[in-house]
Amino acid sequence: MIKQELISFEDDIALLFNEGVIHSPVHLSKGNEDALIKIFVEIKPTDWVFSNHRNHLHALLHGVPADWLKKEILENRSIHINNAEHRFFSSAIVAGCCPIAVGVALAIKKQGGTDKVFVFCGDMAAHTGIFYESVRYSEGFDLPITFIVEDNGLSVNSPTDETWGDDYHGDKISYYDYKLGWPHSGSGKWLKF
Amino acid sequence: MAEILTYKSEITKAMNMLAQNPKVLFIGQTVKYPGSVISDTVEGVSENQKWEMPVAEELQMGMSIGLALQGYIPVTIFPRIDFLLLAMNQLSNHLDVLDELTHGEFHAKMIIRTIIGARTPLYPGIQHCRDLTVTFQKLLWNIPVAKITEAEQVMPTYERALKAEYSSLIIEMAELY
Repeated sequence: MIKQELISFEDDIALLFNEGVIHSPVHLSKGNEDALIKIFVEIKPTDWVFSNHRNHLHALLHGVPADWLKKEILENRSIHINNAEHRFFSSAIVAGCCPIAVGVALAIKKQGGTDKVFVFCGDMAAHTGIFYESVRYSEGFDLPITFIVEDNGLSVNSPTDETWGDDYHGDKISYYDYKLGWPHSGSGKWLKF
Repeated sequence: MAEILTYKSEITKAMNMLAQNPKVLFIGQTVKYPGSVISDTVEGVSENQKWEMPVAEELQMGMSIGLALQGYIPVTIFPRIDFLLLAMNQLSNHLDVLDELTHGEFHAKMIIRTIIGARTPLYPGIQHCRDLTVTFQKLLWNIPVAKITEAEQVMPTYERALKAEYSSLIIEMAELY
């Protein structure tokens, strides 16, 4: 899809929302078209795409038919658009898709597949623990997955940097290693009571 | 002479039964390495059906959903039910409501296996031995929760979970091991 088609689709949805036809929240993506069009050039139709509440453009660019998507939105499912045929999964839990996507990527690797997994999330999601764990694990096992952070500086209306504090240097950790001389628990001797 | 069933031997037998299905993957902490009652019960399972996880319960539950989306039947193991609380986001917000969330587009079937810690002979403290069965029964809308209270229930419970189209949460009791 070209940029103007994406814009027209969302303008149409915005109009329907404003007319009260859609009875659920919708999250539109104006301003994100150019970056997404570029990213989706690298994503094959058989690849998995994991998205979030702001998912319309991701779905369209991954090949989900516009009329099917519009029907889903009209049936009040905008915030969790899911389409198995196009391997498109979304969830409205912040960073919720991340570990699910890791599992799909692990399965693909174990099964010897060549498809890849792409996960879209916002900048606040990228500060969560589960995002860190998902990325850490994926790197540790060299999984076929890419996490794409779409940074608009906000979560709802809360500025990400302000709410996290923007003076982050990573210097609050003191780290050392040692070899444990006992088992995980107990002394290594079985006791009979 | 009738065979005397013991809880632990029945659990071990059930794990071996599950492993006969090539789609089954045992995933969790202490499935490959010793450290809990879990490891003994999956000793007979081949190494390529076991996937050791770091301590990352939400990651594990989410990954289990992802593995299921790709055709595996994860037996996702949490050595203590207290620790399963850390996976609640994925369990409650995704797996339990997946059919409604995806409008039937995606289906993920798995067996969640966990254990209520024993209070004797060593008392492990309040964070390691609570019976949270009712908590999970109340929280989960769709996933059935089964607590195995005697050896005779072990095989039927796991057989039912494997045959079912839906996911199941099975709770064992370490005191009966």
